[in-house]
Amino acid sequence: MSIKVRNVSKSFGAFKALDDVSFDIPTGELVALLGPSGSGKTTLLRLIAGLEDLDPGAGSIRYYEEDVAGQPVRKRRVGFVFQHYALFRHMSVFENIAFGLRVLPRAKRPSRKRIRERVHDLLGLVQLEGMAGRYPSQLSGGQRQRVALARALAVEPRVLLLDEPFGALDAKVRTELRHWIRKLHDDLHITSVFVTHDQEEALEVADRVVLMNQGRIEQIGSPADVYHSPQTEFVMNFLGQVNTFRGHAHGRDVEFADISVAASDGVIRHGDVRVFVRPHELEVLPQKNGKPGFPATVLRVNAAGAVARLDLQLPDGGLITAELPQDRFARLSAGTGEKVFVTPHRVHVF
Amino acid sequence: MPGAVALSLSVGVRPGTPATRDTSLTRWVLTGIALTFLGVFLVLPLVVVFTEALREGIGVYLGSFQDPDALSAIRLTLIAAGVSVPLNVVFGLCAAWAITKFKFRGRSLLVTLIDLPFAVSPVVAGLIYVLVFGRQGWLGPWLAEHDIKIIFAAPGIVLATVFITFPFVARELIPLMEEQGLEEEQAAMTLGARGWTMFRRVTLPNIRWALLYGVILCNARAMGEFGAVSVVSGHIRGQTNTLPLHVEILYNEYSFAAAFATASLLAILAIITLVLKTAVEYRVRRQMELSARLGDKS
Repeated sequence: MSIKVRNVSKSFGAFKALDDVSFDIPTGELVALLGPSGSGKTTLLRLIAGLEDLDPGAGSIRYYEEDVAGQPVRKRRVGFVFQHYALFRHMSVFENIAFGLRVLPRAKRPSRKRIRERVHDLLGLVQLEGMAGRYPSQLSGGQRQRVALARALAVEPRVLLLDEPFGALDAKVRTELRHWIRKLHDDLHITSVFVTHDQEEALEVADRVVLMNQGRIEQIGSPADVYHSPQTEFVMNFLGQVNTFRGHAHGRDVEFADISVAASDGVIRHGDVRVFVRPHELEVLPQKNGKPGFPATVLRVNAAGAVARLDLQLPDGGLITAELPQDRFARLSAGTGEKVFVTPHRVHVF
Repeated sequence: MPGAVALSLSVGVRPGTPATRDTSLTRWVLTGIALTFLGVFLVLPLVVVFTEALREGIGVYLGSFQDPDALSAIRLTLIAAGVSVPLNVVFGLCAAWAITKFKFRGRSLLVTLIDLPFAVSPVVAGLIYVLVFGRQGWLGPWLAEHDIKIIFAAPGIVLATVFITFPFVARELIPLMEEQGLEEEQAAMTLGARGWTMFRRVTLPNIRWALLYGVILCNARAMGEFGAVSVVSGHIRGQTNTLPLHVEILYNEYSFAAAFATASLLAILAIITLVLKTAVEYRVRRQMELSARLGDKS
């Protein structure tokens, strides 16, 4: 089931939460809406679900080709997982999951036996066999999350929408659940959208990332795409760490920190620009090797982890960070206070 | 000096620090004052009601309820409570739902207005109805023309009771529903539930204890209200007297045994209310705690 969002706007009083947003979600994809708080991502998700109304005349939302803008939420057949799960607190796990089947019109409602089988299948799917009789208050956060998911899946939704699905969990459960959701999606192939403010989460789980900022879409693409080829300063800054320099553009080249190199996108520009270089796109050498580079002093070294992180000070006092693989760092053997030579091998200008 | 060491050690292990622990004297005095106060102002009058009621024997006590005027007062009291409690359950649910689930202009005004019956003297509440429905009132001529009697008749008493008791249910529901938020209802909607199904299967079970608590308080007040009802009643024996009014009339006529017997009915009602209230209160608190725990972000 594909979803088409066209020219959607939404205001709350004077605040414009969404401003003319359009994008497509192809059938069977798992898409992340990623952005800082206040970027409109949750509003967009709730509009797709039908939990908020579109501003009158402002755009359309289609499931496949069916315009659902005026349709009440209960007719849309969406599975919605709330950030705080919103489990029915007075119902057991079994009753929670069975709810969507029990409220079907009599003609469509499965038999009691069929409902029981379906709930037990779902409990197996979310790995909560034997928990049917528990109440939400007796479950851990991760378990509640999975009950919420099973409840949403029970009605065989056309699309699955998840609002900050990992937001309320602690770090370890979060990573586990992340992998598990990805695997579940690969098994079920139901078109899914989830909202997150955690870039790592979005890049790891999603097929496609929609980056949002101030009610607008900044960039859409595969995780590798948005990470390696950011199209705006916002995306560059939001996805991972970045060093920023003041520079000046001359045609395809940019001048900064006394060097002149070609910008990664090859676009011709003139005038003052900001230059962005990711920490891992900086090469750190013991001395000049002929490539354009600039000197720096090592302030601090953090060698714990997969890469070594170096905090460097430029001659003009500016601070930058570089990351290099452990073997390269071992060869460099630079300690605090030593002079090194820095060569960027990829620079971004917008 | 081993004794001194032992003494200082034993001081050290006493619970609480001397700086924050009240001396036993303070504790006894405070508890004593509270208990004496309760005894003199609450328990003693209650005992008096029952001893006075039974002074002339159980036969006279029971006999005072056979009196047609007493029976009529009981009936009218039951009617007033029977109409006002269901009405205020409906009103309370609607008001609490609107206030906690929707954002609209005048929302805080509505919250304030719900408290009006608590703020205004019951006598004033009664007089308002006299001014509106009485013979000299705004609607008086029209009502007289159509031969509808409200003031000095049962409808007036019911109206006054409804007015006096309308905050009880709403005030119990609003904080709980605020705490529980909207998400469960929204979840029910995404799962395909219609409005009524959602209310019956999700909202109502979540608020049932608070609702019952409100009903108990509302009922107690409906049966015990004196001031407002007194103004609109006209004190016509056997017709427009409720139990509290009947007590007053009997007392003024020096029929002390009968007055106290009737009063004892109201006292028994109060005791039953207290017992029920305590039991239900416990469930309401649990429901609140559960909501707080489930809403916890951790």
